[in-house]
Amino acid sequence: MNEILLSLTRCVERGKVNMKSPYPPDMKGQEGADELARKALDAGIPPQDVLSEALIVGMQRVGVRFRNKEIFVPDVLMAAKAMGAAMAHLKPFFKSDALKHKGTIVMGTVLGDLHDIGKKLVSMVIEGAGWEVVDLGTDVSPEKFLKAVDEHPGCVVGLSALLTTTMVNMEATVKHVKAKHPQVKVIVGGAPVTAEFASKIGADGYSADPQGAVEFLNSRCTSN
Amino acid sequence: MIFETRTVIPEPASIDVESFSPPLPELLLDRRAVEHDLGYHSGTAPEPVIAAINELLPRVASHAQLQCGFRILPPSSVVIGPESVSCGSVSLSMGSVITKQLKSSSSIAIYVSTAGHGMERWANQLMAAGDMMQGFVVDTIASGLVEQASLWLEKKIAASVKPIGWSLTNRYSPGYCDWPVSDQHNLFSLLPAGFCGITLTSSALMVPVKSLSGVIGVGSGVKRGAYQCSICDLKDCYRRREEPEELEEQR
Repeated sequence: MNEILLSLTRCVERGKVNMKSPYPPDMKGQEGADELARKALDAGIPPQDVLSEALIVGMQRVGVRFRNKEIFVPDVLMAAKAMGAAMAHLKPFFKSDALKHKGTIVMGTVLGDLHDIGKKLVSMVIEGAGWEVVDLGTDVSPEKFLKAVDEHPGCVVGLSALLTTTMVNMEATVKHVKAKHPQVKVIVGGAPVTAEFASKIGADGYSADPQGAVEFLNSRCTSN
Repeated sequence: MIFETRTVIPEPASIDVESFSPPLPELLLDRRAVEHDLGYHSGTAPEPVIAAINELLPRVASHAQLQCGFRILPPSSVVIGPESVSCGSVSLSMGSVITKQLKSSSSIAIYVSTAGHGMERWANQLMAAGDMMQGFVVDTIASGLVEQASLWLEKKIAASVKPIGWSLTNRYSPGYCDWPVSDQHNLFSLLPAGFCGITLTSSALMVPVKSLSGVIGVGSGVKRGAYQCSICDLKDCYRRREEPEELEEQR
């Protein structure tokens, strides 16, 4: 494995954004995800390899460690920030089609619910797994989800809710989207949501943690 | 002549609705508490997180808008049933897990506390500026503040009923121990509109989001019990899913 990519993976895992960032202390003064991503591309490493062999690997490790309660939300957010610094160098390649996302997921917190952070956290980990995330925000109506699905053919839908009173709106959203796009896969999550509830409302997947959402997307929602 | 004997329950006539702005220095929120709330065991938080907490905690005073308050219902209007508590014309369907804990109460205190809109705005500003970690730390501090404000309020309620020989049960909130969140509407109907600046959305979400509400049993024969989850057998409760090890430790 290329040394630059190995270092880049490590920067994502440890949340080392750039040379200036003083954290983690044992990496102080070293290049961060920002510089290493640039360096990798300048060295002629294909952008797809930078994404797949370094960034996605780093975020996957972060997702697994979070699931295992070895690290916590702030650690994931720091990793995502490092990932974002590296992704900034890859963005032009997505535009030129030299680099492709694995797919698109339309994410949102359902109608009546204003909780945002959990959905954002999951979005970051999914993005770090090579997916394009269209974040519709909070208090999103079934109609707004459907409009986004219309605009992003082939997308997956991710629904979040944090209250028992609002998770019932997941069912209305699933029905509304699937009435027009029965093939669209929907994954649901949030504190009060269970696998049993997901199945009952006709959702295709449920995950209790961000990495589970990535695994669902990679295993059930990719064509390649 | 027939003499009718009945127990006379003292009516805390002077106590109806009270509200406060708890002073921040009286709330026990320090770096260690925030680290714990973020999920870290003692001494395991990484340096950036510790640095963020140290930077943000001193700035809380300029963002927090703490308010809390309570209302003790007249004992004559409160009937504690097996599944619900009737408060005059309003019924709180809190379920048997909670009513069992309240059964010896003479009345209930309805309480609310909030960190206000300022903390939410601050967290959102940080996140919008690209610092998700700091924004999350502020969000967590806000949750801790509301919890601490509720503990502070408990002491106020305890002090207000002490003169008539009453004490308090634990706090119980809609959304926990099988009490549906939707019952917030009934709970809030027992408080003045916009009490402590808190309103409800149609989906029973409190605004500001960083707010707590619930009931506390009050009376001469009540006491605080063990940790809340020990009274409840719900297997698929998300509180239990969130912190199973911690809860086990407390049993």
